[in-house]
Amino acid sequence: MTRVVLVPGVLALLPEYAGFADPVADLRAACLAAVATLGTDVEVLASGSGARVARHLLDQVPRSDDHPSYLVVGNGSATRTERAPGHLDERAADFDARLRAALVGPDPVALAALDQDLATELWADTGQLGRLGGLLGGDCDVQVTYADAPYGVQYWVMTWTTA
Amino acid sequence: MTLRLGRHAFADDATIMMAIVNRTPDSFYDQGATWAEDKASARVDLVVGQGAEMVDIGGIKAAPGVEIGEAEERSRVVDFVARVREEHPGVVISVDTWRASVGDAACRAGADVLNDAWGGADPELVDVAAAHDAAIICTHTGGATPRTRPYRVEYDDVVRSAIDDTVAYAERALAAGVARESIVIDPAHDFGKNTFHSLELTRRLGEMVETGWPVLVSLSNKDFVGESLDKPVGERLLGTLAATAICATAGARIYRVHEVVETRQVVDMAWTIAGRRPPARAIRGLQ
Repeated sequence: MTRVVLVPGVLALLPEYAGFADPVADLRAACLAAVATLGTDVEVLASGSGARVARHLLDQVPRSDDHPSYLVVGNGSATRTERAPGHLDERAADFDARLRAALVGPDPVALAALDQDLATELWADTGQLGRLGGLLGGDCDVQVTYADAPYGVQYWVMTWTTA
Repeated sequence: MTLRLGRHAFADDATIMMAIVNRTPDSFYDQGATWAEDKASARVDLVVGQGAEMVDIGGIKAAPGVEIGEAEERSRVVDFVARVREEHPGVVISVDTWRASVGDAACRAGADVLNDAWGGADPELVDVAAAHDAAIICTHTGGATPRTRPYRVEYDDVVRSAIDDTVAYAERALAAGVARESIVIDPAHDFGKNTFHSLELTRRLGEMVETGWPVLVSLSNKDFVGESLDKPVGERLLGTLAATAICATAGARIYRVHEVVETRQVVDMAWTIAGRRPPARAIRGLQ
């Protein structure tokens, strides 16, 4: 069994940015629950600050099994609303819908062929998703445990389990 | 230092709003607005609702005026303390008195703190605090007699004097048996001081904080604010809050205030800037 988890690289998940109230409490709970299903030895696929988020999440939950495990950090567009970090881009909803479909499929070909220029224009963090697709050949169970854009950024927490 | 005020304990990083409740007909700011017991009680309800952790009940105005004897002070304060104790068990009750006998009766009625605004004028006040396991606030007046105004007072170094006198008072309280975590020092702005003295104490408040004793500041609408800005009583809130921000940055723990809501916001903001308090909720740029 191989297990792959996708979480968004949300800096508000890091303890150094904690306030009294947690603005991403639901997302955090979903991330921790998903990460808890990973094995003890986890390969992290992340860029920049996403690696810090991954490491923090991994440090938060005890894990025991030794199945091959991957934690991928990425998210959809950051242009879903006028208050989104990248302001509203009308192309964002369609981009995110197609990306979600490719992830849930999973569709490794579509993930490898992602339009990275458009992703950049939409402030999406998709740099690792092509590699994610490469991990998901064959039969695969997919669970989506979080899918929302509470701050105009499309987040997903997904778990893939392959036989 | 963890602070314990009678029945109530506060974490090292907690700040405390101490709301002024005057049972006087003639205090400078409210001019008798809470002289009637029901009015004073309504004031307590209001400030507790606004989030004040502490009330400071006083029966004698600080400025000179009609002499108030011990019996009269007791009648103004003691039964009212009992009423507040019953109606608001969660609030810290401080009593602003220099008289040991009044402090003793107030503690029996439920007071947690003796706020000796006149700097130890009655040497037995510390014994009363110790006997009741109450907290004591040790203020600096430069030796002024209670209810007198400063007249041509000068100091070689007003901050040095404030530190030396309040720390000496704190150690006297400790020796008398008051718990270490229940002793607070207060430079007492305007008491035995001209405006320049109070400004310097504000500017150098960090030196008092460095003593390690928790520091209380009483700035609210005082003359040093009014003289700095040429504003009468009633127009001193902004100046008070500016001074509050400076003292909060330096690390003052307790704020004796007329305006609870405004002061709480300023103190929280200053403490957040200082890195001693996290933001309430931060998501900007962190999505």
